[in-house]
Amino acid sequence: MPAEISGKGSTLKTDYNYNKTALIIGAFLILLCLSSLLYLALPPKEGGEYIAEIFQNGTLHYSIPMSGAQEGQSLRLETENGGFNEIEISADGIRIRSASCPDKLCVRQGFLQDSGLPIVCLPNRLVIRLRPADAGESAGIPDAVTY
Amino acid sequence: MRTKKLTFLALFTTLSLAIYAAESALPPLAPIPGLKLGLANIITLVLLRHFSVRDALLVLLARILLSALLFGQALSLLYSLAGGLFSLLVMALTMKLLQKKFLFLTGATGGLAHNIGQLLMAFAVTSAPGVFAYLPVLIPGGILTGIFTGFCAGLLGKYLSPHFS
Repeated sequence: MPAEISGKGSTLKTDYNYNKTALIIGAFLILLCLSSLLYLALPPKEGGEYIAEIFQNGTLHYSIPMSGAQEGQSLRLETENGGFNEIEISADGIRIRSASCPDKLCVRQGFLQDSGLPIVCLPNRLVIRLRPADAGESAGIPDAVTY
Repeated sequence: MRTKKLTFLALFTTLSLAIYAAESALPPLAPIPGLKLGLANIITLVLLRHFSVRDALLVLLARILLSALLFGQALSLLYSLAGGLFSLLVMALTMKLLQKKFLFLTGATGGLAHNIGQLLMAFAVTSAPGVFAYLPVLIPGGILTGIFTGFCAGLLGKYLSPHFS
């Protein structure tokens, strides 16, 4: 067991084989990688109608059906400490057009078109995701928010 | 001896802060929040390997606090702490299990733990379950970048360690 292996410069008391442990850890990591990549490779099942959900601080602020989106429709969300995200909805999907956050990763993520990766802006605690319109209303929305 | 160690730890803190700053200046690998090389982890690995868990923890905390003061916002401090501390814990365990061999594997588990810690913190902050959609990206991302930092730490340790004692 690991606890008694590493004395200060002493020789090993057990015939503990770290090569085997390395192999197990390596296999575990490879398995994790492969399953993640497999999951990513699977195409999103649903198609058709989406509803854009905009969360701020964990609460659902807007729920916008994408089908009715007109070109260039936009809205601006402010945060408590003066930050902002400008969200644009168009035929291409939904995106964050500009934001106050320092890294602008949310802007660089571009248009969101399916229910794959949501757009998140961690500095402004904003999450935008697309939900298939026929899925359940309350799917994934937290019952309570704690900090 | 104490003075020498203190000087080393101070140097390592400076070095990791410089690495962290240099990495922040680089364009991000991909527009995925949380995905980065994590080069400052090289220093944590070297300290874990050639010094002790306690020393690695001290330098890590100093780096996180200083970087938050110098370039960060309050929130990035939370993310760094969650990722950094969880990663340190897992790396200390892995390194003990592997008896300081296979440093790239220790780096890989550390990178993985770092990303998982940060994602859990992101969930705590945004409380949007949607953030877990990033898990399949952040898992291989953490492992691959961790292998890279692990190799770097192995090389750096090889050249630096003769000067430690």
